[in-house]
Amino acid sequence: MSTTTTSASPPGTQDPPKPAPRPAPRSAWRRALRRDWQLYSLAVLPVLFFLVFRYLPMIGNVIAFRRFEPGGSIFGEQWVGLRYVRMFLTDPTFWQVFRNTLWMGGLTLVFCFPIPIVLALLLNEVRRRSLKRFVQSVSYLPHFLSIVIVAGITLQMLASDGPVNHVLGWFGHDPIRFIQEPDWFRTIYVGSEIWQTAGWGTILYLAALTTIDEDLYEAARIDGAGRLRQIWHVTLPGIRPTMITLLILNVGAFMAVGFEKVLLLYNPLTYPTADVISTYVYRMGVESNNFSYAAAIGLFEAVIGLVLITTANQLSRRTVGTSLW
Amino acid sequence: MKRERQQNAGQLSRRQILAAVGFIGLASLTGCGSGDGGGDSKDLSKKQNGAMKEFRVGQQFKASKPLSFSMLHNDNPGYPYKASWLFWKEVTKRTGITIKPVDVPLVDYEKKRSVLIGSGDAPFLIPKTYHPSEVAFVSSGAILPVSDYAHLMPNFQAKVKKWKLEPEIDSIRQSDGKYYLLPGLHERPKSGYSLSFRTDVLAKLGLSLPTTWDEVYDVFKAIRQEYPDRYPFSDRWSTNTAFTVGALQSYLGQAYGVHAGWTYDNISFDSKAQKFVFTGARDEYRAVIEYLRKLVAEKLMDPESFTQTDDQAIQKLLAEKSFAISANPQELVQTYRYNLSKQVKGATIEMIPVPIGPAGPVVLDGIRLENGVMVSSKALKSDDFVAMMQFVDWLWYSDEGQRFSKWGVEGVTYTYSGGTYTLEKGISLMGSDPSAKKDLQKDYGFFNGVFTYGGSWELVSSNFSPDEKKFQDAMSQRKQLPIAPAHPLQSAEQEQASLWTIPLQDHVAQNTLQFILGKRPLSQWGAYVSELKAKNMQQLVDLHNKAYERYKKEHG
Amino acid sequence: MVKPSRSHRVFQGVNGVILTLVVVVTLYPFVNIIARSFSNERQIRAGQVTLWPKGFNLTTYRIVFHDSAFWRSYGNTVFYTVVSTAVAMVLTTCYAYVLSKKHLKGRNFLVGVAVFTMFFTGGLIPNYVLVTSLGMKNSVWALAVPNAISVFNLLVMKAFFESLPSELEEAAQIDGLSTYGILLRVVLPLSKAVVATMVLFYSVSFWNSWFGAFLYMDRTELMPVTVYLRNIIAGATGGTNAGAATDQLSQVAANIQAVTIVLTSLPILCVYPFVQRYFVSGVMLGAVKG
Repeated sequence: MSTTTTSASPPGTQDPPKPAPRPAPRSAWRRALRRDWQLYSLAVLPVLFFLVFRYLPMIGNVIAFRRFEPGGSIFGEQWVGLRYVRMFLTDPTFWQVFRNTLWMGGLTLVFCFPIPIVLALLLNEVRRRSLKRFVQSVSYLPHFLSIVIVAGITLQMLASDGPVNHVLGWFGHDPIRFIQEPDWFRTIYVGSEIWQTAGWGTILYLAALTTIDEDLYEAARIDGAGRLRQIWHVTLPGIRPTMITLLILNVGAFMAVGFEKVLLLYNPLTYPTADVISTYVYRMGVESNNFSYAAAIGLFEAVIGLVLITTANQLSRRTVGTSLW
Repeated sequence: MKRERQQNAGQLSRRQILAAVGFIGLASLTGCGSGDGGGDSKDLSKKQNGAMKEFRVGQQFKASKPLSFSMLHNDNPGYPYKASWLFWKEVTKRTGITIKPVDVPLVDYEKKRSVLIGSGDAPFLIPKTYHPSEVAFVSSGAILPVSDYAHLMPNFQAKVKKWKLEPEIDSIRQSDGKYYLLPGLHERPKSGYSLSFRTDVLAKLGLSLPTTWDEVYDVFKAIRQEYPDRYPFSDRWSTNTAFTVGALQSYLGQAYGVHAGWTYDNISFDSKAQKFVFTGARDEYRAVIEYLRKLVAEKLMDPESFTQTDDQAIQKLLAEKSFAISANPQELVQTYRYNLSKQVKGATIEMIPVPIGPAGPVVLDGIRLENGVMVSSKALKSDDFVAMMQFVDWLWYSDEGQRFSKWGVEGVTYTYSGGTYTLEKGISLMGSDPSAKKDLQKDYGFFNGVFTYGGSWELVSSNFSPDEKKFQDAMSQRKQLPIAPAHPLQSAEQEQASLWTIPLQDHVAQNTLQFILGKRPLSQWGAYVSELKAKNMQQLVDLHNKAYERYKKEHG
Repeated sequence: MVKPSRSHRVFQGVNGVILTLVVVVTLYPFVNIIARSFSNERQIRAGQVTLWPKGFNLTTYRIVFHDSAFWRSYGNTVFYTVVSTAVAMVLTTCYAYVLSKKHLKGRNFLVGVAVFTMFFTGGLIPNYVLVTSLGMKNSVWALAVPNAISVFNLLVMKAFFESLPSELEEAAQIDGLSTYGILLRVVLPLSKAVVATMVLFYSVSFWNSWFGAFLYMDRTELMPVTVYLRNIIAGATGGTNAGAATDQLSQVAANIQAVTIVLTSLPILCVYPFVQRYFVSGVMLGAVKG
C-alpha cells in the first residue's frame, strides 16, 4: 500500500496555493513514446525509405519553377516563377486533353470499379472449389500480358477483317474502322481496361470474402433470407472495408489514365477524344525536351490527385464511417 | 534508453542520407558553374597525352601510350553485345585505344541517353545520335561544340571538302555558328524507301512497271478492274508516328518537293521565295494530300493503311488481298519476297525507283548526313582529349577505319579483290550464307550500326544485294533538293517555338488524314489554313525567318 | 438439406453463363498465343492459327533456350524478384501494422507521409542521381530498395489489420507478449490471406518490371529477362533486326513475341495456385467467438 507522496505544505502555513502543474506538451509525446516505442521502431525503416527515396527526389520538382537545361544542373538554372504554370493554363490544347483525361478517368472508375466486385461475388457462389479456382486463375491471365500485347490484340480484334467486324457482318452491317473513329475510342479504351483488370481485381475481394464469418450466413439463412438477400446483408457489408479502401484509392488515381495504352491505340484522327495529359506531355517532351513544362503539369496533376483522395476520404469518413485515415 | 535504440536503428541509413545530401549539394554547386566549360577550351597543349604529333589522312592512328575511353553502346538485338568480339581486340591492337562500352538496349537508347547526360553521368563518346536530338543539350553545355575541334580531325575535314558537304554541315549549326554533332558523311545520297509491286500480276495484265506517279495511278486502276473486291495497295509504317504511312508520304512528298510523312517538319525553306514557310500549308503539301485522297476515294488504296500495324499490312500482301506495298531493300528480300515465294506460287515482287512527280527526278535534301557522334564536355577536361579526337577521326572517318568497321580484318573475315569484298568461308552476313556457322555481326562484332555507316559510295555499296544495287544506282543519279540554310533558334526562342510546334503539328497530322480519308472535303482547305493561323502558325514562321536573317548577318 | 429453390437454380444458371463468357474472353487470347508459339511461321502469317498449333514447330523455343543470355537473364529475374519481394514485404507489413493502430500518436501524420508520395514523385533524373550516388547502381538493391513500398498495397494491408478483432491482441498483451511478438505470433498467422495476396502482387510487379533495370544497369549480364525479351521483340518486329531470309530467323520473327509471353508468364502464373492455398476461410475467427 503505497501512499502518494505529495509535497503537501505543512498544515498551518500561509503559503499561497501552488498552481497545479500544467502538463508540458512534451510529456504527452514522451508518454506515447514510452508506451508505443516498439510500434514506432517498426515505423523507422519505412519512414526512412519514404524520406530518402520519395521525398528527396521530389526536390527535383523544383524545376517546374526554374529554367531547366538538360545536361546542366539537375535543379535548373534560374528561377522563373509561375512561368510554366501560366504556360499550360493558357494553352487551349492543354484544357482539351485535361477534359479527355477527366472523361476517361471517370469512365474507367465507373466501370472498372464495380466489375471486379460483381465477378468476385459470382465466383463466390460457385459450389465446386476446383471449378472456382479454374475460373479465377483464368480470369486474371490478361493481367500478365504487357500493354504492348494487349494493344496489339485490341487492334487485331478491331481490324476491318477482324472478329468484331465479322460479327457485325452477320447482322448485315458494313465494317467499321473503329480505330479511326474518335467516338469509339473511349469505349475501346475502357473495354480493354476492363478485360485486363477485372480478373486481377477480384483477388483482393476474394481474400476479403474469406474473412467473413460463416456463422453470419447461418444466422441469415435461419432468418429466412434467400441467397441474394444473404449477399446483400452479409457478404457486401463484410467486404465493405475493402471496397471503401479501393474506391478511395481509385478516386485518387483518377487522373492517372494509362499512358502507354493510349499511346499505342491512338492516332491523329482520334486525338480529339484520345489525347490525354500524359500523352500530350510526352509529345511535347519528345519534340522539345521541355522538362520544366512537364514538371509543372506533373505538379498540377499531383495536386488534383491529392485533393481528390483527401475529399474522398473525408466524405467516406462522414458518410460511411470507414476511411483510409 | 529507448531513444538510443531508435537512433541505432537509423544510423546506417543516416550515413547514406548524408552522402546523398552531400552529393546533391555538390551537384547543385557544380551546376551553378556549368554551361561554361569552354573557358580554356582553345588551349590544348596540356591535353596531348597519347596523341600523335602529326596525324594525317591515310595514316593509321596509333596512340603513343595505351588509353581507354568510355562510349555509349547501342545494343542491337540482331547482334547482341559480346565482350569477346574481335572488333574490340583489333581496335586496341591497331590504335592502342581500349573502348569501354556502356551497354544500352536499342529499344530504350534515347531515353537512357538523356537520363545519363541529364544527370551528368554520360560517357565521353555518344554515337548513334540523330540530328536534331543533340540540340536539346546545347544550351546547358553538356556536349562539346565539336566544330571548334574539327581541326584535330583531318579525315573528317577532308571528306567534307571532297564530297562538298559544307551546305549540309552548315544546316546543323546552332545559333552560335557551331555544330555539336559529328554526323555520318555519305559521298552520295542513299535512298531508303519506295513502292514495290507484284510484277507477276503486272505482267499478267500486260502492264509495265510505273515510273511516274500518274503511271502508278493507272496501274492501280488496272489492278482494281481485274480484282474489284480488293484494294490494289495496302500500306504500312503507320505505327509510332503521327504522320502515318510515314514512308509513303515521305517519298511521295519528295516527288512534289516537300517534306512529308516521317520527314515532315513544320518549317521548310522555299527556295524560290528565299524564306521559310509553313510546310503544312504549302501548295505542294496540298498536292500530296490530293493525290492520296484520289487513291482512297477511288478505292485504289486501303483506308486501313493509315492505322493498321505492319503485320496486318504484310498479311494482306501475303494473302493476295493487296498487290503493292511500301518497301526498303531489306524488307523486300527478307520479308516480302521470301514469304511470298513460300505462299504464292509464281509470285514475284520488285521495288521500283521512287516514281517521279512534278518536282522531277529528285531526292530529298539533307540525306547525305547520317546519325553521328556527340562528345561529352567532360572529355575536354581529360588529358587524353586530343588523342581521343584523333581516334574518333580515324575510326569513323578514315577510309581504313571505315573499311575495318564494316568488313573486319582482311584475311580473317574477308578478302578483297577486283573491287569486290567477299566474306571468308564459314562467315555469313545477314543470311548471305545459310550454311555458315558464324556471323560477321554476331560473332565478330563488325558491320555494327554503331560504327558502320556513311562513307564513300564504293564502300557503302559494297554490300548491296542486286535489288538494292539497281535501286540505288537509279536513285543516286537524281538531283538533290536544295538544302535549307541554317536558321538556329536561341534557347528562349526554342522554348516559345516548342509550345507552338506540337499543336500545329497535331493539327496538320489530323487534317492530313481527314482530307485523305474524305472525312473533310478539300474545299475546306482555306478553313484549315485559318485554323493553323489561329494556332500561331505565322508567329512560328516569323520566328524562324528572324533566326535565319540573324544567322545570315552574324555568320554570313 | 434445404432443396435449392427455383430462383436459386436460375441464379446459378445465369452465373454459369456469365462465368463461362469470362473464361472464354480471357482464355482465348492466351490459348491463341500459346498455339502461335508452337506454330510454323507460314500458318501464322496466313492468319490460320487460332486455338491449336498448326505446323508444330519448336524452332523458336530451341533458339531461345540455346541462348545463354536468356538463361542468365532469367536467373537474374528470379533473384531480383525474390529479394525485392522480401524487402518489400518486411517494410510494408511493419508499416501497415503501425498504421493500423488508431490510438497511436502521430498516426495520421505517418499515413500522410505515405499517401503524399502517391501523387508527388521526383523525376527520372533526380532518382537516377540518388541511386547512383548511393552506390546502388548495377546491383539488386537498385531494383529492390527504391520500390520497396507500394502505397496501394500498404493501405490495403492496413485496412485488413484494422478489421481484425482487437480482443485477440488484447488477450496476447495480457499474456505478456511484446508488440513484436503480437505481430509475429498473433496477427500474421491470422492474416495469411492478405499476406499471400501481397506477396503475389509484389512478386508479379517485380517480375514484370523492366524499367528499373534498364535505368540502373549498365551491363548486359545484369539484365532481367524482361529487358532481354523486350529488346528482342523490338528487333524482330521493328525491322532493325539484320535477320536473314533463312528459315530459322524468319520463323523466329514470326512468333518470338508469343514465345516470350509464354516463357515469362508461365512461372509467375504458377505462383498463384500456391498462394491460393492461404485463402482459407477465417476459421480462427469462429474460434474466438467460441
